Amino acid sequence: MSVFTDNFSATLPPPTRKSERWKYSPIAKLLNKEISISTEAAQGMNGWPESVLPNPVLNLDAYLVVFKNGVFEPTLSDLPVSDGVDCIPFSKMDQSGSLDFTNGYHQKEWIGELNETYRQDGLSLHVHRNVKVDRPIVIHHLTDGNNVASFPKHLIKVDEGGELNVVVWSSASDRSSGMYNGLLEASIGPNALLSLEKVCNEGGKVFHFSHEHIVQERDSKLKMHTFTIKGDWVRNELEIISRGKGTDSVFNGAYLPLGAEHVDNHTTMDHTSSDGTSSELYRGIMYGNSTGVFNGKVFVRPDAQKTNAFQQNTNIVADRGAAINTKPELEIYADDVKCSHGCTVGQFDLDALFYLKSRGIDEKAAKALLVEAFLADVLSSVSSTELCEEIMRLYTERHGW
Amino acid sequence: MLKINNLCAKVGDNEILKGLSLEVKPGELHAIMGPNGSGKSTLAAVLAGRDLYEVTGGSVDLDGIDLLDLEASERAREGVFLAFQYPIEIPGVSNLNFMKAALNGKRAHRGLEPIKAKDFLEKVKECSSLVELDGRLRDRSVNEGFSGGEKKRNEIFQMAMLEPKLAILDETDSGLDIDALRVVSKGVNAMRSPERSFIVITHYQRLLEHIVPDFVHVLSNGKIVKSGGKELALELEEKGYDWLKEPSHDTSNA
Repeated sequence: MSVFTDNFSATLPPPTRKSERWKYSPIAKLLNKEISISTEAAQGMNGWPESVLPNPVLNLDAYLVVFKNGVFEPTLSDLPVSDGVDCIPFSKMDQSGSLDFTNGYHQKEWIGELNETYRQDGLSLHVHRNVKVDRPIVIHHLTDGNNVASFPKHLIKVDEGGELNVVVWSSASDRSSGMYNGLLEASIGPNALLSLEKVCNEGGKVFHFSHEHIVQERDSKLKMHTFTIKGDWVRNELEIISRGKGTDSVFNGAYLPLGAEHVDNHTTMDHTSSDGTSSELYRGIMYGNSTGVFNGKVFVRPDAQKTNAFQQNTNIVADRGAAINTKPELEIYADDVKCSHGCTVGQFDLDALFYLKSRGIDEKAAKALLVEAFLADVLSSVSSTELCEEIMRLYTERHGW
Repeated sequence: MLKINNLCAKVGDNEILKGLSLEVKPGELHAIMGPNGSGKSTLAAVLAGRDLYEVTGGSVDLDGIDLLDLEASERAREGVFLAFQYPIEIPGVSNLNFMKAALNGKRAHRGLEPIKAKDFLEKVKECSSLVELDGRLRDRSVNEGFSGGEKKRNEIFQMAMLEPKLAILDETDSGLDIDALRVVSKGVNAMRSPERSFIVITHYQRLLEHIVPDFVHVLSNGKIVKSGGKELALELEEKGYDWLKEPSHDTSNA
């Protein structure tokens, strides 16, 4: 037993390095932490740290749903009220209107079981048929405090022909430590569109686990972006299941860890039906002594003929002490498909760097230009320019370009 | 303006420049010719500050500044410009952002404010018309998908934008058809002035019909083995390089 599991017990055992899925992201350090759920009730601005803004993307005209240490903050939130959108925290709703679906993650993974057992709150978000939600919905999670844990789970359902943009943003104040264990399940109906941006910008020392499970029906479209701006230990899991014909899934990610940070991206794209396309692009630059993991699985099942799947993971190891473990996995069981994948690990392009410098651009500015170019393809499909600019601004500020 | 004295450089264990000396005065255009592997491109790269090459001896002085002591970007800010033999493609970096960063880097070095957007665009317009570089190319990523000729015109466009004191053209004529050669030469000639010097590296006399040099030097085995006026280029075209080649140790002992 460990200090952690004394407070948070589960029937499934914590993962160890023996499991391939956790081999490069050991959680031994987490298990030594005495972490607990915050008992503090919502306090609005009184309980909000000055260093973090309640609205993480000020320039974006959006609805805002704020949680602090897993607890819904009604006074800081601005829930959508438009017709055809039900957006209610579980804590505020009666049982009848509740969305209820699950992918069984809680039965497969220790992390999932913890979320299921200790969940505090989350958002139920239902977009009705042919409703296009007029503004993005920003879900902001703040971790603030010493050794606090939060266990949110959000359910999103976009009915046939609907359109929705959600940003899930997690922050932590610099004094914070503990665990964020956030789940999100989404179902995208026929011809519907879901744009989902997940941003981790956490100070302090928080173990960040997130798991998104997205099911796509016929001719639906998913645009998913996972940005790790800052985080001491981050694991992003993404599972996409194409369950109807002709789905389109774009999912990109970027990570630029510094110091001793750890970032792990595990993705699964499961094509079970025909005529689907998927395009995956993850790019990372590893600085300092940071460590990273990329694992991307693509399945093309026997019925998924005419699938067009693309996957690429490109890494730059900028400093000697940094490391990335990357592994693409492609399993194809259909015979009329087009799939490509590639993983690269390299350094900054020295020819390009010299070319820029030879025009009078100093090394720092030259590298900034190359980084911006490196990230451009990942950022180009983000749904709003305001969000795109804010993400680039945060990277720039953090790295001092 | 530029004094190169007894310059020696190597890459790995391979000595390439073996005591090269050259003086270039303001406004002069020097052509450097020579056979493959004689060290022409190495000279260009060493002057521009490519750290792939290790300078093992000699000195390079640009108007009293020890060039070898400076980083590539600092040399550029002091007025050195290298037109690349193989310009680099940089996907994702727009040509215009690139030039703005370069120009502002240079201006900051001289204590000037960043250039105003309007002035910048006017300058871009002026310089791109000089080499007939159309707007489509200016707005794209640096050299990405450019033809050979477009890349070389882009080099001259950049030179016009940055107004260097010393421009080094490394085989700017390679891969150019007659029309592109004419356009590039026109751009270079328009840039000639009493304050600006050029070192033009080429294999062929053809370029020197369009860009007329004040001096022609022959580089062989890491040294300048013959210097002369523009007529030397014609002689080389006729006779080749063999008669000038420094005998290597093997043959001299034979």
